[in-house]
Amino acid sequence: MDKSKPLYETTFIINASLDDAQIENVVSRVVDTITKNGGGVTATNKWGRKRLAYSINKKTNGFYVNLEFEAPPTLLSLLERSYQLDEMILRYLTISLDSKALAAKAAAAAALPIEAPIPVPAREPLFKENDDAAKKE
Amino acid sequence: MNNPRGNQRRPRRDKENQMPRKKRTCRFCDAKEVYIDYKDEKRLQRFVTEQGKIIPKRITGTCAKHQRQLVQAIKRARHLALLPFVSDTIR
Repeated sequence: MDKSKPLYETTFIINASLDDAQIENVVSRVVDTITKNGGGVTATNKWGRKRLAYSINKKTNGFYVNLEFEAPPTLLSLLERSYQLDEMILRYLTISLDSKALAAKAAAAAALPIEAPIPVPAREPLFKENDDAAKKE
Repeated sequence: MNNPRGNQRRPRRDKENQMPRKKRTCRFCDAKEVYIDYKDEKRLQRFVTEQGKIIPKRITGTCAKHQRQLVQAIKRARHLALLPFVSDTIR
């Protein structure tokens, strides 16, 4: 990993009353501010519309977007400034991914391919001649 | 006093006589967890009360190292409205 560009993770909540095209617009604006200032988005996760645990600006629903990006640390202040100026963004959180988080991420990525669906064995009759249980089912 | 036996003296318990207290272990240590994620609100919910307060580690048995991580994750989740600061039922 490049030392001058550590990995960060940012999550923000967009006003859910906007329609999908407008939400896309907001997301691409955020991605733009990252890429134009020397950063690169490595992962985009849209969690979609979720109910907020408490109301923010009198809104009870929000569209959650989670971005992972690498960027020079100077970008963060610009990014947070743009969040504040954007009226459609209700809340944001930017954290740097430390070594522990990266280790957990790598472990999760490694564990995922193994998780193949376990085949369910067909039910075998307990007593081959007189299978009452099977008849009941 | 909330003693249902009233003023009756509680029978003494010797060391051998004592109820074996179940040893609580840190769930995160058991699972060999290195990082507690704020995005996993279902998991975090088990470590807050119905009111939304963080449960102390003396109750849950979480080790100090993981409790610190857990607290940070809960606070991050609260900021993003994944967890409540105060639950609706109390308000």
